[in-house]
Amino acid sequence: MGDPVTDKRFYLILLVAAALLSLLSLGLDAYRLHVLIVCLFYVMMASSWNLLAGYTGQVSFAHAAFAGIGAYTSGILATKFGVNPWLGVGIGTVMAALLGLGVGVLCLRMGGIYLSLTTLGFSEILRIIITNEYEITRGTMGLQVPGLITVYSKPVYFFIMLGGALLTLIVLYKLIYSNIGLNFRAVQNDERAAASLGVDVVRMRVLAFTVSSALAGMAGGLYGHYLLLITPEIPSLDQQFLVLSMTVIGGMGSFAGPIVGAFSLEILAEYIRGYGEYHVLAFGLVALVVARFAPNGIIGLATRHFPGRAKPGKPVAVAAG
Amino acid sequence: MFALAAMNGIVIGAVYALAALGVSLVVGIMNVINFAHGELYILAGYFSYLFASVLGVNFVLAMVLAVALVFLFGVLIEITLIRPTYGNDMYSLILTFILSIVLQNTYLLIFGPYPSKPPNWLSGSTEIFGSFYYGNQRLAALAAGAAVIVMVFLIIKKTWFGRMIRATSQDRGMAELNGVNTTRLNMLSFGLGCALAAAAGVILTPVFPVTPNAGVPVALTAFVVVVLGGMGSLWGCVVGGLILGLVENLGASYISSGYKHVFNFVILILVLLTRPAGLFGRREA
Repeated sequence: MGDPVTDKRFYLILLVAAALLSLLSLGLDAYRLHVLIVCLFYVMMASSWNLLAGYTGQVSFAHAAFAGIGAYTSGILATKFGVNPWLGVGIGTVMAALLGLGVGVLCLRMGGIYLSLTTLGFSEILRIIITNEYEITRGTMGLQVPGLITVYSKPVYFFIMLGGALLTLIVLYKLIYSNIGLNFRAVQNDERAAASLGVDVVRMRVLAFTVSSALAGMAGGLYGHYLLLITPEIPSLDQQFLVLSMTVIGGMGSFAGPIVGAFSLEILAEYIRGYGEYHVLAFGLVALVVARFAPNGIIGLATRHFPGRAKPGKPVAVAAG
Repeated sequence: MFALAAMNGIVIGAVYALAALGVSLVVGIMNVINFAHGELYILAGYFSYLFASVLGVNFVLAMVLAVALVFLFGVLIEITLIRPTYGNDMYSLILTFILSIVLQNTYLLIFGPYPSKPPNWLSGSTEIFGSFYYGNQRLAALAAGAAVIVMVFLIIKKTWFGRMIRATSQDRGMAELNGVNTTRLNMLSFGLGCALAAAAGVILTPVFPVTPNAGVPVALTAFVVVVLGGMGSLWGCVVGGLILGLVENLGASYISSGYKHVFNFVILILVLLTRPAGLFGRREA
């Protein structure tokens, strides 16, 4: 599809945002820079989860688990076999993609509810395996892994994560605004109509699920090598919940929604951390209210109050390739 | 050892069947999966702990109160969260998942991470078939679980309300044409589904004390039972529950106890590979 004008605008916005963030990062102390890096991790996670929930209407509860697959694959390869972490992140991404493909093929014939059930089971099983296989994963103690760069430097990690986030967003943009993306939305809007027009519904769902899982795997791998310690916290259901809340609160099904959600919730979480570990509960209540009363999130509210150009986000047209 | 593991499997299997009945009922009628099912199971456990152990209410009364309160809570959830999402299955999945995390964190805030346990109904143990001694509490749990399952079957097969439930899960439009108020039926059956989770909770908590996130494995097992038995099938829940209870306990004693919940997942994958509609499932399920 790729309307050249829209393409140009997208890359321009991305470039300006990246430049502004880079400028901002120069003026931040180590703690604030860390928060910014975590934000970028969540941008990758929430945006790629949005590809599923927002664009193809599937709810996966294993997105954090796939990030964990990426992180642990790369971490174990690096600590046990001395594999270069960059190569490890690549292998971790492939691993997440393969597992995503497997789970997708297994459940998506049967429809969305089966995917949600199986992915929830998958996260829980992964948690049990990581906790039980203590010799390999170090269980809840966490696995100490080498960094992506030999000399630890937060600013360099910031640029690595920024690169990861940009790559993720470009892949998603390319996918969503292509013929395939059109098929995705057709499947979400009306499965039967899409199928009748020749869209292979199951294949589209499996494709979206695989790509989304791979992107989560990459995000997890990069994040694990930034933290230098991979714990079962990365693939936990709490983490999954945060990613889900960011997408829902930011605005599911819009490109900017998960980005807005990731930044606002992560920064908010840091602010209220001083009052104890209640941010999960607080976000849960907010997410519940938003999901119930404003299902299109912050972005939805913003476009309702400032109706500008028609957004390219959710065209209703059912067309097929 | 085999006999003991098998006995444990049957007891826990009966309670899994009970929890799964609640899920299956709601899926059959509303096509909604309640991801907070396990947290409602826990809620009933906390209620019965609160009433019986803290306030000193008689344990039977405490259990009845706990189930009734969870039923009302379920009705409230249906009205406030589920009803606006009719026709959009994805949103109800997201909402109930968020609800489950909210409830887990609320329990953590109120009760702390420590296990809470209502008092046992019975003490002592009984000799079974002259081969081993088995705790009376667990035997009572089995009897109570079986009694509630029989009651659910009677309600669904014999009463007018049950007839409405069966009609609606077969053909919603036709049921409406025949005068079934399906909105009200959704509300009541969602509440009933939650009450069944609660019944499983009050029966099992004297044996397995509750912690804020102990509901996750129970709910997952109930979901696997529902997939194994076939979505919406009641007999499937009973058979599937017993199978999972047995597999889990035999596997734990012969293979590895750390992996007892992994066996369920293996079963789930096998079902999806070979017979995705489940043992008693309708083809289009």
